Amino acid sequence: MAMAMSAAPERRRTSFLRRATTRQAILVWCFLAPSLLIFLLYRILPLAWNILLSLQAWSPLKPAVFIGLENYEEMLTDEVFWQSLWNTVFIILSAPVGIAMALGLALLVNSNISGRNVYRTLIFLSYPLMTVAVAIIWRWMYDERVGLLNYVARLLHLTDTPIPFLNSFFWALPSVVVANIWQMLGFYMIILLTGLQNIPSSLFEAAEIDGATAGDRFWRITLPLLRPSIFLCFVIGMLNSVTSFDLVYVMTGGGPGRATEILVTYIYKLGFVQTRFDYAAAVTVVFFVFLITVAWAANRLSGGNAGARDME
Amino acid sequence: MMRRSPTWPIHLALIAVCFVMLVPFYWVLKTSVSGENIFTYPPNIVPQNPNIFYYVDVWYAIPFARYFLNSVIVSAITIAANVVFNAMAGYALTREFHGKGFILILFLSCMMVPFQATIIPAYLITGQLGLLNSYVGLALPQFSTIICIFVFKASFDAIPGSLIDAAKVDGLPEWRIVWTIMLPLAKSAMATNVILSFIWSWNNFLWPLIMTRTPEMQTLPLGLARFLSYQEDTTGALYAFCIMVLAPGILLFLLAQKEFIQGLTSGATKG
Amino acid sequence: MDRRTLIKSGLAAAGTVAMPAYLRAQSNRKLSILTWNIADQEALFKEEFADFKAQNPGVEIEWLDKKGPELPAFYQTQLVAGTAPDIIDLQGMIWVEWAANGALLDLTPYMQKEPDVAKLYNQDYLASFVYDKKNYVIPFYIAKTLLFYNKTMFKEAGLADAPKSFDEIVNFSQAMAKGEKTGFLTLNFDWLYWPLMQMNGVELLKSDMKTPAFNTPKTIEVLEKLAKATASGGINKIAWTGRWVEPNGAFASGNVGMLQAHSASYFFVKGQAPWVNPDTLGAAQNPGNWSTPTNHGFAISKSSKNPDLAWALVKHMTGNKWATEFSVRRRILTGNLAADKVGLEKVKAEDPLAHAVLLTQLEHTDKMCGNWPLPNDAQVKDVFWAEIQNAVLGRKDAKTALADAERAVTRVMRRS
Repeated sequence: MAMAMSAAPERRRTSFLRRATTRQAILVWCFLAPSLLIFLLYRILPLAWNILLSLQAWSPLKPAVFIGLENYEEMLTDEVFWQSLWNTVFIILSAPVGIAMALGLALLVNSNISGRNVYRTLIFLSYPLMTVAVAIIWRWMYDERVGLLNYVARLLHLTDTPIPFLNSFFWALPSVVVANIWQMLGFYMIILLTGLQNIPSSLFEAAEIDGATAGDRFWRITLPLLRPSIFLCFVIGMLNSVTSFDLVYVMTGGGPGRATEILVTYIYKLGFVQTRFDYAAAVTVVFFVFLITVAWAANRLSGGNAGARDME
Repeated sequence: MMRRSPTWPIHLALIAVCFVMLVPFYWVLKTSVSGENIFTYPPNIVPQNPNIFYYVDVWYAIPFARYFLNSVIVSAITIAANVVFNAMAGYALTREFHGKGFILILFLSCMMVPFQATIIPAYLITGQLGLLNSYVGLALPQFSTIICIFVFKASFDAIPGSLIDAAKVDGLPEWRIVWTIMLPLAKSAMATNVILSFIWSWNNFLWPLIMTRTPEMQTLPLGLARFLSYQEDTTGALYAFCIMVLAPGILLFLLAQKEFIQGLTSGATKG
Repeated sequence: MDRRTLIKSGLAAAGTVAMPAYLRAQSNRKLSILTWNIADQEALFKEEFADFKAQNPGVEIEWLDKKGPELPAFYQTQLVAGTAPDIIDLQGMIWVEWAANGALLDLTPYMQKEPDVAKLYNQDYLASFVYDKKNYVIPFYIAKTLLFYNKTMFKEAGLADAPKSFDEIVNFSQAMAKGEKTGFLTLNFDWLYWPLMQMNGVELLKSDMKTPAFNTPKTIEVLEKLAKATASGGINKIAWTGRWVEPNGAFASGNVGMLQAHSASYFFVKGQAPWVNPDTLGAAQNPGNWSTPTNHGFAISKSSKNPDLAWALVKHMTGNKWATEFSVRRRILTGNLAADKVGLEKVKAEDPLAHAVLLTQLEHTDKMCGNWPLPNDAQVKDVFWAEIQNAVLGRKDAKTALADAERAVTRVMRRS
């Protein structure tokens, strides 16, 4: 936009423009400053704290001793760490499923139908509900003998033997994922809905006059223009799922065995339950690097620039 | 104006989804009026002897009005700071400047630090700022949220450049362009931000638990502990409490719905 | 419940909008006390504090209460910040780790100076709070596991009395399993399932408290039996995956034959189960009279600026007068001998079944197991339990799981 004018070759104008860009740079940094400050205080410094701590042996009452990479070395042979990492990957891979479902829902509730506000509200309800209570309800729904899911399955003669969902090493993680998607669906929906609102409806009208079918409109207009929102949804979705601490913590506590242990529950246990803050910090750092890598890959896949379209 | 395809399949699909989504929610509601054991078999679909006693219990068991007021204050501070700071940062990110790539990566990476691992340093920092056990201290970590910055950025990006250029030709200063032209066009982003920052602040549990010490500063979710007593059976009250905490969020969402619709119609005039 | 006091304090709280800077106000006559998820006793604590302040003019008391899972996070954050509460209510064996780390004050000198204090409490329970021959904790309220059984289900299955051996537990549970009905549940947090091991003579560690001793053919046999009973539905899987609400809720639904849990379960179950009465619910000791305690006690932070005053408050709250009040009002055993006598007497008249349940808590206190004072208790528990789950839920065979558990426990022990 403003940059487009910078092609002007005349000398006098260049110096004027230089001043304009300086002014703009100042403005931009002023606009960023408050957010940067908050992140510095509550994200970057704590991360730095974790990085320092990960190289030490420390607990709240013992003086810190520098031990180099020992904590990281321990991680190599820590089966629980690897299991948690694997479970975390599984949850990340499941995030697109939830997003695809939410996209479908967002399109439906964005269409011009009566009562769409009611639908939106009902679908959104699950997101702001306190996890503690819902986790207990989910535990019951998944129960092998008296749970709702098996009860319905039995009524409909879908299975002969009840499925032990949370009590089974095979089913526990997918069950947690389903509960997580249930909780996040309303959240994804409103992010995608906001994205849909950004698409000028004139584009659709023009396409319709040109005789484009609904399918064409979706693939040619909606999906490309929604790319930033979808990327955003994926990053948030991924983060929210892998840091959805409460649900896992209350529903399964990471069990049975390590079947639903994820890195964030493991970090919490290591730190606050086992008082191993040093080792927890090392796991945190690795977790952080891992997430950055995934986000970077997702960004590359979605075409760069953090999913934002370059203005043509 | 448009060709109408029949809407009943959409309704049918949405009703089915809503039904599935609402089952756990229904159980919360049902238990909150019946207090019955969730593990009863076969499950009671309809609550036995429904009553509102548990809601009354909740009101008296904790200083509900006080906690509620605290939550409102903290959430109001959070929302105000959020909308302003996020809109500013979101707008800044739509411009080209040196180090933009770095900032984008920095913001994204800030999202990747799990909160559980930051409790101790966050507490120490807040202590250094002298904000422990205060409203601002409760709200501060959530003053700006990366997700909503990106929501704003996406909304601003979608505003046609021609509109801004026209304003520039008219000689409007930058902040007025943001205020009078861009923000009104980013209403749905704003609505999203309000809803989300409210819910995060409203439901925030671990941070208030760690950083408040006096009962006068407790926020609503901390009342939860009272209903997880392990010797009394507080099932009904627990669920009534959850509904009471949930209600303001739903109300705000309904109010913000209007902005979503306006966003939709204002979209028609865009471009 | 005293609602009026609650409303009053709520209103009083609403009046003070300005936030008090508790840090700066820390006078040298101020005590803070952190309790563990017992906010429902607010009225009682307020009275206890008022009484203490009357005896010690000029003392201020700050009372904090945090929910169980978050209390350690809160306390440790406060430790790092140097503002740890003077007195803390600790549950289970978490205190050992903190004592070993130097967070808690050794109370032995106080108890030697005032030998009468120790005599107030049940000696076996008091002894469960000793680490490295030092006493760090004074009992606040106590409990240990027992066996609840559903008499109706026992009758239907043709069973007369509570099981007398481990094999009977397993066989009885098989006999009651049918459809949605299962035979046996146990709580599993901390080490509450340990009586099942102990009644088979299984030991966790050798007497050096470092070397695993549990990998024996007997343990393999025990785990195989448990796994078999779990697979066939005799033992409800919630026994291995549930925590508090689920096992108690399941037992309260009337579909589970037995529940191995501590006395608090009775009150929780009773609240949810209209069927509970002396004809339908039995309370017995575990076979061999084994049980695992899960106690609450008060400890004093080493960082306390007023350790003597803190000690006085601990004595005040666990002494005859207020322990009695506590026992009577909350129907709980406190470990204070005189208090529990009065409390039991009162309960006997009101709820004979509750009386029977509470009585089990004071019998066979010499047979308490599963509470080793290990400074790394949380780590050992975590690695050991994961393998037990693997075995009983059939992911690994018992032999492999125990071998893996032995390796994991050895590793934890070597690290510390």
